[in-house]
Amino acid sequence: MRKIGKPLYTIGFFLVFVLLGSSFSWAQSDVSVEASLSQTTVYTGERVNLSIEISGNFNNVSRPDLPQFEKFRLLSNNPSTSRSYRYVNGQSTVSYTYSYYLIAQKKGEFQLPAVSVSIDGETYSTDPIRVNVIDRNESATSDDSSERPDIFLQVEVSDKQPVTGQQIITDVILYFRNGLEVNSYQPVPGWKAEGFWKEELKNSERPRAESTILDGVRYRKARLLQFSLFPTKSGELEISPYKIVVAVRSARSGNDPFSSFFSGFGSNQREVELSSDPITIDVQSLSSTDNANYLGAVGDFDISRSISTTNTLVGESIEIETRVRGSGNIPLISKPNYNLPKGIEIYEPQENTRLDRSNSTISGSKSFTDIIIARSPGNYTIPEKTVSYYNPSRDQFITTTLEALTFSVDENPEAIAASESSGQFPVSPITGLASWITISSEPTDLLGIWWFWAGLIIPLIIAGAAYWRKSYVQKMQTDTAFARSVKASDKAQQRLENAIEVSKQGDIKQAYNLLQKAITGFISDRLNMPEAGLSNQDYIEALKEQDIEENLVKNVRMLLDKCASISYAPNTTHAYLKSHVGLAESTLEKLQKVL
Amino acid sequence: MFTNRFIKIFLFLFLFGGLAPLSFAQQNAQALFDNANELLQEGSYQQAISSYQNLEDGNTVSGALFLNMGISYQRIDSLGKAKYYFLKASQFEETEEQAHQALEFVESQFSRQSAVLPKLPWDIATDWLKEHIGAKNILLIGIITLNIGVFIFITHWFLQMYPKVLRIGGFSLIAAALLIIAISFYTQYINERYSKAVMVTEKVSVLEEPTEEAPIVSRAYEGYTFTIDHRQNKSQQDWSYVRMRNGLYGWIPNNEILIL
Repeated sequence: MRKIGKPLYTIGFFLVFVLLGSSFSWAQSDVSVEASLSQTTVYTGERVNLSIEISGNFNNVSRPDLPQFEKFRLLSNNPSTSRSYRYVNGQSTVSYTYSYYLIAQKKGEFQLPAVSVSIDGETYSTDPIRVNVIDRNESATSDDSSERPDIFLQVEVSDKQPVTGQQIITDVILYFRNGLEVNSYQPVPGWKAEGFWKEELKNSERPRAESTILDGVRYRKARLLQFSLFPTKSGELEISPYKIVVAVRSARSGNDPFSSFFSGFGSNQREVELSSDPITIDVQSLSSTDNANYLGAVGDFDISRSISTTNTLVGESIEIETRVRGSGNIPLISKPNYNLPKGIEIYEPQENTRLDRSNSTISGSKSFTDIIIARSPGNYTIPEKTVSYYNPSRDQFITTTLEALTFSVDENPEAIAASESSGQFPVSPITGLASWITISSEPTDLLGIWWFWAGLIIPLIIAGAAYWRKSYVQKMQTDTAFARSVKASDKAQQRLENAIEVSKQGDIKQAYNLLQKAITGFISDRLNMPEAGLSNQDYIEALKEQDIEENLVKNVRMLLDKCASISYAPNTTHAYLKSHVGLAESTLEKLQKVL
Repeated sequence: MFTNRFIKIFLFLFLFGGLAPLSFAQQNAQALFDNANELLQEGSYQQAISSYQNLEDGNTVSGALFLNMGISYQRIDSLGKAKYYFLKASQFEETEEQAHQALEFVESQFSRQSAVLPKLPWDIATDWLKEHIGAKNILLIGIITLNIGVFIFITHWFLQMYPKVLRIGGFSLIAAALLIIAISFYTQYINERYSKAVMVTEKVSVLEEPTEEAPIVSRAYEGYTFTIDHRQNKSQQDWSYVRMRNGLYGWIPNNEILIL
């Protein structure tokens, strides 16, 4: 049997030693080399200072290896050097600064090449520096130089044509001529940027004045404040003027570009309120309506989703966290909506926003936590979800698919025990045959039911007819003239039939008497004349007054004359009477139409 | 011979073509119902609810279906929905008694109970007419009464016996019939304008206006019942104007409630 304890200890010690050694070497490699120019905008023939600062924990450092400066002339190869030493938390840091003076020779925009330095045998290089050289004679002829005041405030934005929700970095910059010294500044409260959501960015460093040239005039400029603005709507939006109150005084040696931005107080000090010009931003709209998965996020983001557990019990909560990280309009991002399976109860989601205002941008994260509870056991899947945001630097919507989340839910033994102990639910499920009905989703319109209208109209018709009949009967009973008029025809017909019957029996005279009564009775009934006591001439006259056809009146007269004279004609036969009855029938029929 | 055979075929096609779909639909519903009942007895409540839901979506329903749906939701502790389906089951004669027992139990399980303002007698009468007779049946009664009244009233014009009794009786019946018809239309109006709804989520605010930012009138909890005013809702897709049982009015999102 072999002992393995010693070899393992040996390997462990070796690993610890290696790790410590490597961390030590990493600490040693923590060296920075930076180059800076005293001014990045200079006149031709003007002198600028190039500083190379080497800081860190090192042992040997060589003098910087300067490259060939084509547009600049190096005044001296021997730099002025300075050295400082710091010891913090057991770590020592050494800082060397090499300063060279260069003279700009040609106008134009140039790039100072990188400077390399050898530190502990390794070569480090600085970043190139852009510099703008202006011809002093040309800039002196510019007319605009006289229009600018000695000190003014300007608001500068990173983008004047952003899209809705895009982050715009806005700098509040103070420009002042050499010869002026700014002792302090105080922003005037109440700056408005209507249509924007704004956040002030953190600046860890105090404002530093840099030299610049505006239309041939040397100014110093300092960024006082920095904001992030997020347009919340499209169209032309105006950033209102920003106001500050600055305390300035005339300096004795204004040409010293290296003097501190905040100089000491002097006797010439006065306070001046400065206001920037308003800026109009043309905000472009995003066609988010075409993108159903758009979360309202504009910037550069990483979107992810996670679930707190993949196995739980009925009635216990599960958290689904959706995280959006990156830079952009983080607080304005909305929560994606998930299609949850049935049997899941969802509670009010929680939101948590963390903003980082450093590094000249708004960045951070926003998380949405959905709390869900499954009410029955089983396997559940929240389907994958596609979400998108707009990236202004790439000018396109970026789509991300959040993967499906699966979890299983088991029966909760405690819940079962609780339900069993209180299991007094009094109803059992109904099984077997059920009585089915098909329901209609359309509401019943009572006015559209046919029997409703039939049930209204039919009794109305019946009531109308009955009323007419009732009125008729009543009139027949109370109005004698109406009753005689209505019955006249039947009465006359009856008399004519009797006349024929009497004639058959041989009593011609009586038959003609009945014929006369039939005619005169019909006329008197229809015209409401007295039933007796009138002559034939009275009836004829009454007919004439009714404006009746003359032939008809003539027939009536002829028949009445015949009835009156028959007593004097003993040879009259039954057939003769019958012909007169026929004539009387046709005449009365015609009279009935006109009377 | 040919004629008889033709008539037989015609009758077969008529019966098969006209009545068979209805019969098949009910058989199919019964088969789905049986499957869902098995799932319910196995404890697969969620699947059982899905099957029951398919039947309900197909508009073929029964009291047993709604009662079993209520039981399924009660088993998964979704008491608001359980109450909703028990209320539906109580509208069927065959399940009315069981549904009322279940409702009594479910009501006792809610952690919060709403204060109840007593209904006006007129509202109680209208609700009773709506639930027990129905506007259409009331209208039918009114029309029949009207016709009888008109007939009796007409009779007194022609019959000499008891004319006064016939006249007053006929006139009274006509007046009663017109009142019944008016009640039927009012009941129909109330039926179409107002509905009962049950809250099925845990908690929601009843708001003064149909916007999330509006002031809160009251808070409502699972199992609360409301009276929905559909006339007020016409301009709102996602909100319902409700009268709470304590007499307060307000707006509530539609996804929080189920309308009976």
